[in-house]
Amino acid sequence: MGIVNPQSVADTSDETATLLEVRDLTLRFGGVTALSEVSFDVDRGELFAVIGPNGAGKTSIFNCLSAVYRPENGTIHLDGTSLIGIKPSRTAELGIGRTFQNLGLFVHLNVVDNLLLGRHHLMRTGFVAGMVWKGKAKREELEHRAAVEEIIDLLELTPYRKSHAGLLPYGVQKRIELGRALAMEPKLLLLDEPVAGMNLEETEDMARYILEIRRRLGLSMILVEHDMHLVMDIADRVMALDFGQRLALGTPDEVQNDERVIEAYLGGST
Amino acid sequence: MAALPLRSVPAGGRPSRQLVLDYRDDLRIFPDRWARFGLVVLAFLYIWLPTQEVSDAGLRTLSTIAIVAIGAIGLNLLTGYTGQVSLGHAFFVGVGSYSAAYLGAAQEWPFLLYMPAAILLGVFLGAVIGPFALRLRGHYLVIVTLGLVFLGMHVFRNWTSVTGGNRGTQIRGADMSIGPLDFSGLELFGSTFTREQSMFFLVWALLALAALLAKNLVRSRMGRAMQAVRDRDLSAEIIGVDLARTKVGAFAISSGFAACAGVLSGLQIRFASPDDFDLFLSIEYVAIVIIGGAGTIFGAILGAFFVIGVEEFISHYSRSEWLGPVVRTGPGDSGFFSVGELNAVLFGGFIVVFLLFEPRGLAALWLRAKAWFLTWPFSY
Repeated sequence: MGIVNPQSVADTSDETATLLEVRDLTLRFGGVTALSEVSFDVDRGELFAVIGPNGAGKTSIFNCLSAVYRPENGTIHLDGTSLIGIKPSRTAELGIGRTFQNLGLFVHLNVVDNLLLGRHHLMRTGFVAGMVWKGKAKREELEHRAAVEEIIDLLELTPYRKSHAGLLPYGVQKRIELGRALAMEPKLLLLDEPVAGMNLEETEDMARYILEIRRRLGLSMILVEHDMHLVMDIADRVMALDFGQRLALGTPDEVQNDERVIEAYLGGST
Repeated sequence: MAALPLRSVPAGGRPSRQLVLDYRDDLRIFPDRWARFGLVVLAFLYIWLPTQEVSDAGLRTLSTIAIVAIGAIGLNLLTGYTGQVSLGHAFFVGVGSYSAAYLGAAQEWPFLLYMPAAILLGVFLGAVIGPFALRLRGHYLVIVTLGLVFLGMHVFRNWTSVTGGNRGTQIRGADMSIGPLDFSGLELFGSTFTREQSMFFLVWALLALAALLAKNLVRSRMGRAMQAVRDRDLSAEIIGVDLARTKVGAFAISSGFAACAGVLSGLQIRFASPDDFDLFLSIEYVAIVIIGGAGTIFGAILGAFFVIGVEEFISHYSRSEWLGPVVRTGPGDSGFFSVGELNAVLFGGFIVVFLLFEPRGLAALWLRAKAWFLTWPFSY
């Protein structure tokens, strides 16, 4: 299957550099404005980070990208295809993989099955073919199992293969989620607080995996994270949000030294 | 990548009894020697039981267990695997029974025609009703599917030209042959079998087939999607599982299994009346799924053994010294429960006890015992 190969980076030469284009995204819940005219682009192979205090609208952006929320205004295009108004289950086919802030694992299934579920949209067996098993269903299971095993190797999940996801330690569960998102073979990976609640060692492990994925797969990623050290260390560009507004967008250095960002985080005197 | 060249085992013997050398080994239903041995034992019992000691009454009970287990496997696919609790199962069982009555007995279709027709009718009705019911979750879904039972009973009572109305309808003379095998009185290898023996052969073979189909479903793509919907529907949707299609598909297939059980139970009892498909039947199925173990195929079979066993036990001992005072068997009899009422009370009790103490049912007890022996002598 060879999904852990950096082929996708080389193939993009004839396409535009921009993978995701978000323009004037506005999202309201009743009187609360969660996002207000937020615009940004994510380039191919870029690690784009979104930061901001609690309630700034970071996860709301992810929910718009996964079509869970429908924004009032604005456009989202992934590789030229609009993501507005489609079913959430379609975003997987279009190339969006996602991990969740509060773990969205299937706790009664083992690690292999969790990862195989990431490949659901790449598989074709229906109810009837599944019941027959012989032929299509079995062949597909074996093929995709091989692909899943590559990810298990990459993320060092080998010892946990057959364990129920719900019984594993938190740090491992976060890694399984990352694996499941990778198994989807996305064009764009959305990581919602991948190191939240982790100790230093686990955080460093996760950073290593993220960088390794980037190196091997050349994936574009959007990272939402509170751990500023991590964000500033690994992101190419950073967007800072506050109360649904874009405060700054630029390289980690630029954003770190932006007055408005410092104000939002530390509390200014104006 | 798929097949590692390790299939041959060194001459010294196997390194471990559980060594997996190929992804294929992980997909086997009967993975090791013990499981395959168990299969042989079951096959032996299948031939031996009906031809030997067991009386016709005993065989009838065993057949009932298999029939109910087929229906319970269906409900387990919906409730245990997809996480959608339905009280409407009795309706689809009724559809199956009345199909046997109308298509099989009245229209005299052959078995190989009316059985698939009944199953397809169940699947079709499930697929039509599913989208309305499955928009709702939890308690609301329970209430709506509950309504289905009463709707069904109303139809069964009033569509008299097909169902025979309140008095019910006979299912006599329905064809029960598959090719040269006539299961209303099997003649094979020069010996003639009674109707009960033949029925046993038919329903247990169909149960094996149903269990295999269900097992195949849950270890392949859509079955895995069903379990994902059960565990976390939001993330299932975002990784590409179409919630509506998965839930409705599970509902339709579950209804197909129910209709199959309905046909067989109609053939077994040779009668169908609206009151047979009331709420109690649905609750009985839910009890089987919970007691046997939600989310396991063989749990449904264990649950059927348990529930039908208890029912038979009660009706058998209802006149005995110690159950007699409690159970009312005739009009003038003392005692405050009828047999049916006592069953209902007991199943309610069993559901509560199992949910409190062993939510994963009898299947979990079995798995735990197995794990204990597999890891012996280090069973901690």
